[in-house]
Amino acid sequence: MATETDSEHACLPGGLIPLDQWSTPDISVHKSLRAGFKDILEQLRSGLTPESEAFESLDDLPSLPANKLKRYAPEPDASVLASAILKELGALSQQGLHNRQVSFIVAPPFSGVSEALLTLPARVIEAPDNLLMSEQEADHWWDEQLGEDDWVLPELASFWLRHRSGLQLLKSFFARIAQDSAGRGIVACSSWCWQFWIRYWPEIHVGPLTLAPLDSERLTGWLDFLARGGNGRSMTARMTNDGYYVLPPKTDESKEKYSCFAQDLANAARGNRGVAHAIWQRALRAKPEEDAEQDDDGTSKTAECWVVPFDQLSLPGVPQGSGQQAGIVLHAIMLHSSLTLDSLERVTGIAPVELKLLLSRFLRAELVVQDENTRAYRPTPLGYPAVRKYLQARGFSVDGF
Amino acid sequence: MEELGLKDALSTITSGAIIEAIAVVVMASLLIMAIQKLVPMLAQKLSGKPRLYLLASVPLFRLVIIVLTVVMVVPILVEPSFENMLAIFGALGLALGFAFKDYANSLIAGIVTLYEMPYRPGDWIEINGQYGEVRAIGTRAAEIVTLDDTVIVIPHGLLWNNLLANSNDGTDNLMCVAELYLEPNHDVARMRELFRDVIYTCPLTKIYQPVVVAVTGTDIGMKYRLKAYPLTPGDQTRFIADLTARAGEVCAAEDVKMISRPLLLQ
Repeated sequence: MATETDSEHACLPGGLIPLDQWSTPDISVHKSLRAGFKDILEQLRSGLTPESEAFESLDDLPSLPANKLKRYAPEPDASVLASAILKELGALSQQGLHNRQVSFIVAPPFSGVSEALLTLPARVIEAPDNLLMSEQEADHWWDEQLGEDDWVLPELASFWLRHRSGLQLLKSFFARIAQDSAGRGIVACSSWCWQFWIRYWPEIHVGPLTLAPLDSERLTGWLDFLARGGNGRSMTARMTNDGYYVLPPKTDESKEKYSCFAQDLANAARGNRGVAHAIWQRALRAKPEEDAEQDDDGTSKTAECWVVPFDQLSLPGVPQGSGQQAGIVLHAIMLHSSLTLDSLERVTGIAPVELKLLLSRFLRAELVVQDENTRAYRPTPLGYPAVRKYLQARGFSVDGF
Repeated sequence: MEELGLKDALSTITSGAIIEAIAVVVMASLLIMAIQKLVPMLAQKLSGKPRLYLLASVPLFRLVIIVLTVVMVVPILVEPSFENMLAIFGALGLALGFAFKDYANSLIAGIVTLYEMPYRPGDWIEINGQYGEVRAIGTRAAEIVTLDDTVIVIPHGLLWNNLLANSNDGTDNLMCVAELYLEPNHDVARMRELFRDVIYTCPLTKIYQPVVVAVTGTDIGMKYRLKAYPLTPGDQTRFIADLTARAGEVCAAEDVKMISRPLLLQ
C-alpha cells in the first residue's frame, strides 16, 4: 500500500499505511525467546539485587558532547514531517485510497505526528479545560470548534478522561467524523487512546492511517537522513566492540561488514521512530583515541562516532514490587498521553499522597517526566518499552504497536 | 500375602538396603519440599502466564520425583524380577484397597488431576460450595484459599462424584459479575449505556475481554448484572466492589433508586 518513495520521503520512510497493515519488524525466534527469558529473569531478580531502574550505560566510553549529538542525531524537523504527511495524504487521495474529509492518523507515542501537525497552516483545536461534559455540552462544544476552515487536532488523547463523565467529547467527535460531517481536518490520535476507543466502540469507522513501522533498513535510512541534516554529508557510525558499520546505510556496493545493531534497535523500539531515536542518541559515543586507520585507497576509515553494543545499554525499568497501583497509574498516563496530578486522581481513584509517591519513583526511574508548563506527567521514550512490557504482562490493554 | 510370594520377595532385604532406600526417600522428600516451597515463591514474583505455568509445574515435578524414587527404591530393596514385582505391587494393592481405600482413592484422583487438569494452582474453583484459589496440589488433596483467606483442604477423591466449577481454567481471565437491583420505571437503555461506561472506565477492567450489561425484570425490580473481566483473577473482590460503587454513583446521579436489602426480604 505504501508508496515506496523512501528517497522522496526520507523523513517518513514507508509513508502512511492503513492501520490494519502495520506489523512489528520481523524478529527471529531466537531473539524472541532470549528477550522473553531475559524478561522473566529480570522479574525474578527484582528484590534480590538493588534496584537499577534508570538508564545506565555499562561501558566506560565518553558520551558524545551536546554539539556533536545535535550534529549526528538531531531531533527530527517537525515541519519536514508535516510536509511529508501532507504529501502522502495527497498521494493516497489521488490513488483513491483515502477519500475522507478528516484524515485520521493513529500513531504510537513519540512518533512526532502531533508536533508536525502543529506546524501546519491550519487552525489548531485545543482541548477544553474541563473535559467532563454532558452529551449536549459536548455537541455544543464541537459545533463551535468544527467550522468550514481547515483544522488540525494534534492529540486526540487529551480530549477525554477515563471517567464516566469524561467520554462524551470523544463520543460526539467520533460520531461526527464517522459521518464525515466535521469539516476538513487532520487528527492525530495516540495508539493507546485508539486502542481503548476501538474496544469501547468497535463500530468506529474513521479510516485510520498510520506511519509505516521502521524496520532496520528504514531505520538506518532515517537515521542517516537526520544526520545528513542540511549539509547532506553522510555520517559514519561503527560499533565500539568489533568496528562493524551501522551507518551509512548498507548498499549493494558496500564491502564493509555491517553490524546487526540497527535490527536490534528496530526490534527493541518495535518500529517506533521516537523510541529508536532516543536509544540511538544514548548509544552514540566518542572514542578517546581517534587513531586514523588508512584504507588501501588512502581514505580515512575512522568513524565520526561510535556505537556501543545493544547489550551494554541498560534501558530504564519499571520499579518492581510497586503493586498494582503502579500499573494503573502508568496505564492512565499512556491512555491520555499526559495527565496532571488532579486528572490522575480523577481517572485512577488513587489518593494524591499515594500518587505522588508513585510518580516520584517513576520520575527517578526516568519512566515519566513532568512538563514544566502544564505540570502534566508524560512517558519518556527511553522508558516506554519497559512500561509497555510491564503493562502487557499485568493484563492491561496495550496498543497494537 | 504368602500366596503372593511377598515373603520370598522381602527375604533378601538387608539392613544396608533399607538404610539406602530410606536415604533415597528422604532426599526425594527434601527435594519435593524444596520445590513446593521455592517454585511458588518464584511464581509470586512473576505475572501473567509465566506465573500460572510455573505454579502448574509443581505437582508435575512432584509426580516425576515420586515415580523416579519408586523406580530407584524398589530395586534397592528387592531383586526386580517379575515375580517379586507382582508380589510387592499385589500386596500394596491389597493394603491400599482395604486399609487405605479413601486415601488411595484420593491418590489416584490426584494422579488423574495431573493428567486431566480440572484445576491447577492459580485456578479459582468452587467445589461443594467452597470457592477459592488453588494454592497447592498435594498427592492426596488440594489446598484452596478462599476470599476470606481461609485455607480449605479438598481431597482429590471428591472429584469422582462432585461438580467442580473452574472460573479461569488455567488462564488469567476470570469473569466477575456485579449485581444491582434497581427500582423499575426508569430508562433501561440509558442505564445500560451508563453501566457500560462504568465498566470501561474502571481502571481494573480488562477491556479487551467482553463486557456485558445484562438486565432482567424480576418481581422486586430490575436486576442488572455487570459482567466483565478484572486485570487479574486476584482482583475480583476489589473489582466487583469498584463496579458496584461506581454503578451506585451513576444511580444517584440519575436519581434511579437501588433496592435495598430490607425491601428485598419483604
